[in-house]
Amino acid sequence: MTADKEKRRAISREAARRRRRVESDVFADLCRLLPLQASVRAHLDKPSIIRLSLSHMRLQALLRGAAGRNAEVKYGRVAQRREEWPKEEREGERREHAAVEETNLYLKILEGFVMVISTEGDMIFLSENVSKYMGLTQTELMGHSVFEFAHPCDHEEIRSNLRLTAEEAWHGARRDFVMRIKSALTHRGRGTNLKSAMWKVLHCQGRARACVAPASVSCLLLTCQALPLSHTLLSAHTFTSQHSMDMRFTHCDHRVTLLLGYSPEELLGRSIYDLCHTLDTNTLNKNHVNLCLKSQSVSGQYRMLVRGGGYIWVESHSAVIPSARSSKSRPGAAQPLCILCVTYVLSGVEQPTLQLSLDQTTHRY
Amino acid sequence: MSARNVSAAGGDTAAEGPADVLVEENQSSSVSLASLMTPSSSGGMSLNMEMPRKRKGSIENQDSKSASILDADMEDDQIRSDEEDQHVKIKCFREPHSQIEKRRRDKMNNLIDKLSAMIPTCNPMSRKLDKLTVLRMAVQHLKSLKGSASSFSEANYKPSFLPDEELKHLVLKAADGFLFVVGCDRGKIVFVSESVTKILNYSRAELIGQSLFDYVHPKDMGKVKEQLSASELYPRERLIDAKTGLQVQADLPVGAARLCSGARRSFFCRMKYNKVSVKVEEKEFHAGTSKKKESQKYCTVHCTGYMRSWPTSQLGAEGEGEADKQDSSHFSCLVAVGRVHSHLSPQVNGEVRVKPTEFITRYAMDGKFTFVDQRATTILGYLPQELLGTSCYEYFHQDDLPHLADRHRKVLRSKEKIETNCYKFKTKYGSFVTLQSQWFSFVNPWTKEVEYIVSTNTVISYDHSRASRSGNKSEQLSNFKTSEDPKKSLPIIPGISTSPGTMIYAPSIGTQIANELLDFNRMNSSPSSGNGSPFSFPQEKSPLTLNPISNNVPNGDATDIEMPGKSSSEEEPQGAAFSAGDVLMGENSQLDLDSVVGPGLNSLSNDEAAMAVIMSLLETDTNLGEAVDFEEMHWSL
Repeated sequence: MTADKEKRRAISREAARRRRRVESDVFADLCRLLPLQASVRAHLDKPSIIRLSLSHMRLQALLRGAAGRNAEVKYGRVAQRREEWPKEEREGERREHAAVEETNLYLKILEGFVMVISTEGDMIFLSENVSKYMGLTQTELMGHSVFEFAHPCDHEEIRSNLRLTAEEAWHGARRDFVMRIKSALTHRGRGTNLKSAMWKVLHCQGRARACVAPASVSCLLLTCQALPLSHTLLSAHTFTSQHSMDMRFTHCDHRVTLLLGYSPEELLGRSIYDLCHTLDTNTLNKNHVNLCLKSQSVSGQYRMLVRGGGYIWVESHSAVIPSARSSKSRPGAAQPLCILCVTYVLSGVEQPTLQLSLDQTTHRY
Repeated sequence: MSARNVSAAGGDTAAEGPADVLVEENQSSSVSLASLMTPSSSGGMSLNMEMPRKRKGSIENQDSKSASILDADMEDDQIRSDEEDQHVKIKCFREPHSQIEKRRRDKMNNLIDKLSAMIPTCNPMSRKLDKLTVLRMAVQHLKSLKGSASSFSEANYKPSFLPDEELKHLVLKAADGFLFVVGCDRGKIVFVSESVTKILNYSRAELIGQSLFDYVHPKDMGKVKEQLSASELYPRERLIDAKTGLQVQADLPVGAARLCSGARRSFFCRMKYNKVSVKVEEKEFHAGTSKKKESQKYCTVHCTGYMRSWPTSQLGAEGEGEADKQDSSHFSCLVAVGRVHSHLSPQVNGEVRVKPTEFITRYAMDGKFTFVDQRATTILGYLPQELLGTSCYEYFHQDDLPHLADRHRKVLRSKEKIETNCYKFKTKYGSFVTLQSQWFSFVNPWTKEVEYIVSTNTVISYDHSRASRSGNKSEQLSNFKTSEDPKKSLPIIPGISTSPGTMIYAPSIGTQIANELLDFNRMNSSPSSGNGSPFSFPQEKSPLTLNPISNNVPNGDATDIEMPGKSSSEEEPQGAAFSAGDVLMGENSQLDLDSVVGPGLNSLSNDEAAMAVIMSLLETDTNLGEAVDFEEMHWSL
């Protein structure tokens, strides 16, 4: 009796082995069809193969959908554009090399990576340079859900940004939000497999994209920039300021006088909310909340009131940093924080004779 | 910082031994593990991150597994120690093996389902297909995709999910941007990408060869020129000291890694937006001399890019004549991407985006106007400066006072937008307009104190019949005292003390309501640690200079109010998760730190903060040249 049982067990084991072999073969077939280099392919496990296949399919669907809708012949224009590009003569492999360089240039200028994300949060596509920001490669990340990597406190915000109505998807609605993401990089940019991954703050901006056939693939095309952005060529049209955590000025550089009419001393202790147009209250509020929670923020455009009348449009890039007045006597205690802003002026003084706020009518100092 | 599922199964992991189960360490001890883990569908102390695990050898290795493992899925997720530096090492709590396995199966099934949804031939199937079939169909599908994509695959010797050409389009599409290359000395547009058409509404043909300055707002030309003309392409670096926020001179050599091919540029400028009408097009060609600019639309473009320099010997026809005068052998240009800010409509001008019968005002807590948008003038007759500093209660009709006082009280205590009923507001000419307003208290997210009350006011009707009082505001106020309408004193307003013998002065209603709140808060909150700034009412310093009536002021005590700061700058916000209704982009209630999950700054280590904020600033020593003259006050668009 036991021999019989043994025999049956052996048969089932054999059958199982066969099934597994067959399945493995199919997985191998699938894997070979992925647009990846052989060395990368060799190390993929089964769920990853499926994930990447899914991404590949979705991406193809998007591209086809786009091509059909826009009726642009994208592929044929390659040669035409290159002629106008002031580079060295290109042909054959050099052409390819230039193409890669060009793409890299785009991404370098962008100071970030590209993400195509589904409404459910699956990161369908990530540009290869994502490794520079997250420390993990494109292959490791593609197909995974963004929620596996995003700070839990930001999940709700991300979800609400991913939600798209059919209308929004069709018209390419815009999205702009800040989220924190795990990064396996040290400050110096070296990859690490340490247990402590760090949070990187990403400014994500982009548009919705809908595609109906072959399958319904609505997604967002996002550029993700790691904050803080580099601020270069600080010119007469920008100024820096420091604030306490409630957004009252604690310091301001002299450029503000030329731009807004206030002397730096006048601004000390003033709340930025007093100095801005009421209609921009929401913008500033969102900026402030982002700063408190995520330590980095880009404000978007808002209006600052000019001393004596009128206002100018500005945009601020801000970050939370340890305050200068850190107490050295209590090294273990949490350092007081402050906010550092770089504000870009976008326009000239508008309606200079218009006095909108109480400030502008009274000379307080 | 999530946990990773660890499987103890299988012979392949013999080298490892039983799975390690350690609690994940966080940077900040105050953050609990639970709060960092993303809850997974299957519950338990689960992991959510399954990295593709590197394994030695190929997939075919699996057959050597021990026979005890019948479920093929289990083999897939063997954990190996990660030799790859790029994997994040994560650990989790020990959990029942069956749980782990179940989750893995679920995940695989989930993936298979998704796969079948994407495959055209799978979709119409009414019954659920088995795993193997789905996989086989996936193979077929991918093969078919590959076939039709051959047009560009030949050019790709390097396989990628997205060919470079497509990626570039994706970047520009996502960024709402266009790439442009302009020569440095004259601003000639040497190249611009196709996407510019969608953004600025000009065709590439129109732009290429033209000067960039023809398309830039006149007042921004100096700015752009400054950006294009650097005397050196590699200026000295200036750093901002993260500790002090002040600029620090640093004679560091410019880091090659940072600058890559050239100095980086980042600036905002307004660029012309082509309106479709023919009339405007004609103006375009006289951009430098055009006087009528009101109809010209502009949009704000954020340009970021790099300076590049090419030896002229390698350039084609465009290079000739473009050579930099100083350095005749090189063509310097800026290669940049311009991204449009779509926060507002393409024009950045003085238009207030409210309906013509709407205007916005801002009140201090006690009801005094601190901000009045200019639309109020057409509706109320007053210039903003006539209203600023005065109390709104001076303009409310008597009959509406109780209701509005009640709303005022409510709005100071609520986070919601409060609607008023229709009420009458006295205009400059003595008549009343009927308004209806929406008020909400704007609270500083950090201190939780009310900064001001924002009022969106809609005109319901213009009523010119009630011209019973003369137009002068000061007369009106004195009328409250002397009462032109005989024996009509202010109505009793609940909560407003009316000690016998004193007349109620309308603005005092507002101040009393504000005081109530302050007293209430003072009693209920701990004294300030000193870091919170005193809540000062700027207008209180000279409370009556704007008010023609200066006697008999019961609100004199308001000048001494100081709001105790509720939280010091060291306090960190805590709170519950984002509620479903609290959408960042929604208008309903103000974003409140309390309603968003807690540990934000907790996890900010000093190092991280400092490092994250060292911003590199490059400053050139060149003159601005055509500097924008800020002394000019009248700039037309």
